[in-house]
Amino acid sequence: MSYQHAADNWFSAIIIAIIAMAVLLNIFRARGGAQLYIRRIPGLDAIDEAIGRSTEMGRPVTMIPGLTAFGVVAVQALTIFKYITKQIAKFATPMRLLTANPTVYAVAQEAIHDAYNEAGRPDLYDPDNVRFLSDRQFAFASGVAGLIQRERVAASFMFGEFYAESLIFAETGNIVGAIQIAGTTSFTQVPFFVAACDYTIIGDEFYATSAYLSREPVLLGSLVGQDIAKFLFALTIAVGAVFATLKGVDHPFIKLLGMPGGWDTFWNAVLGGR
Amino acid sequence: MWQIDTTTLSGKVSMALIVLGAFVLAFGLIPVLQTLPPRGRRALIAVVTFLVGAFFAAEFFMPLTQDDKNYLTPGIQPAQNALQIIGSLALGLGTYGLVRLHLRNVVQKRGQWGYSVVLLIAFVTMATFSIWNTLAEKRILARTPLLDRGFSLLFDYTLIQLDAAMFSIIAFYIYSAAYRAFRIRSIEASILMFTAMVVMIGIVPLGAYMSEQLFGLPREVPPNAHPFSLEAILYSLRLPEIADWILKQLNAPVQRAIEFGVGIGGLAMAIRLWLSLERGIT
Repeated sequence: MSYQHAADNWFSAIIIAIIAMAVLLNIFRARGGAQLYIRRIPGLDAIDEAIGRSTEMGRPVTMIPGLTAFGVVAVQALTIFKYITKQIAKFATPMRLLTANPTVYAVAQEAIHDAYNEAGRPDLYDPDNVRFLSDRQFAFASGVAGLIQRERVAASFMFGEFYAESLIFAETGNIVGAIQIAGTTSFTQVPFFVAACDYTIIGDEFYATSAYLSREPVLLGSLVGQDIAKFLFALTIAVGAVFATLKGVDHPFIKLLGMPGGWDTFWNAVLGGR
Repeated sequence: MWQIDTTTLSGKVSMALIVLGAFVLAFGLIPVLQTLPPRGRRALIAVVTFLVGAFFAAEFFMPLTQDDKNYLTPGIQPAQNALQIIGSLALGLGTYGLVRLHLRNVVQKRGQWGYSVVLLIAFVTMATFSIWNTLAEKRILARTPLLDRGFSLLFDYTLIQLDAAMFSIIAFYIYSAAYRAFRIRSIEASILMFTAMVVMIGIVPLGAYMSEQLFGLPREVPPNAHPFSLEAILYSLRLPEIADWILKQLNAPVQRAIEFGVGIGGLAMAIRLWLSLERGIT
């Protein structure tokens, strides 16, 4: 079996290194006490409102990480759910966390347990509230839809990776009148969430969520680093567009972006074949 | 380097000892980890995470020798196997949690406990036939007509059909969600509805028919026509061309921008996790 290596495309490897440097430098800058600004994200401000509504109605809150396998997306989703659970624990609001991935389930059990402990209400933790339903997409979808209908949930939080089942969750939540906040990295599902949910966190806002909620310097610094990386990408695209317009798409700088090969190919592209 | 010849007796014994050793290590490690104080556990997790991350990063960046490999490449597959084994153990944990919850529902006769009875019966039946079928495929158990009929009834005629039914429900949900999204309540909703209508009509044959028969726009452009000639301009006003332009020039760049953002966000998150700077759930 062959794997991807930096030598397959040095330009990409260099870009990865630059992004990593931008993120790390800003994390250290933030740790050093730099004041960093984060813009308002209405969907995240609405989390407390949704929890308040559930508390008033005495109905449960559901948290769904979708079909997310255990990885960065799942960790981010569970970080958000941990924050929500801490808020929920203050008011003893019932909650259900429903997963389709057994590894996510195992980690979620621990994360939710920690959240109740940190909120000072370990007595409220019930392991049955974190549930593994099924790893089959539509079996999981029907399980979630059934629970939302039976328990008439008041708020539904969907953060993670979603596929065709996203609309089943969102529309079922809409039918029972739940406040719904969704955030996903699956851009194909964003239109469905925008249409069916009250608030939608789009794209990299998903990764900004933990920084927004916790205001931790490390996370804020990382966010600034991400913005610098995005600016570099935008600059590359702009420079590429100018070169492509003036010199044509065969110009070395344009080819460099997608050219496979090792150092020889890299320098050949940079020096125009010299 | 990583393979054992299991056709020989010594190979079989070695393999059995390795499997036994792995079980003892895994199940012996859990109580040891439980005795560690939270700070010690966190430190251990940080060290293991860093070492594993460093291994994958070094393998990616190290120069290649021959056959697109470097010194660390042979270790990748065993590492991925280990991840799969951990995932399989977690599947057992998930299944245990599910069965425990529904058994409690039935024993304590909680609300709607009848559903739990259905789930438990379905779980046992499906698992029995699935395991039986797997053993029959490996020729450990005999394949009988009961197995064939039962397996196809449960999987082909029940599970797959239920999956298809759930998938079909999405069509109705799309209607209701689209109705709410396209209601003209604001300028944004109006633009959204108008754009959606153009794209929907443009990508089906009705769009071409309307453009040619209703609006009298040309079916094609002469091969040598200037891009700003009247024929070319009229051709570009056809609904299929407008729909194509919206999808390729407006929709695709926005999707790519979202993808870029998600990719960078994921990378930043991965770095934070690798260096244990992320304290969310750890």
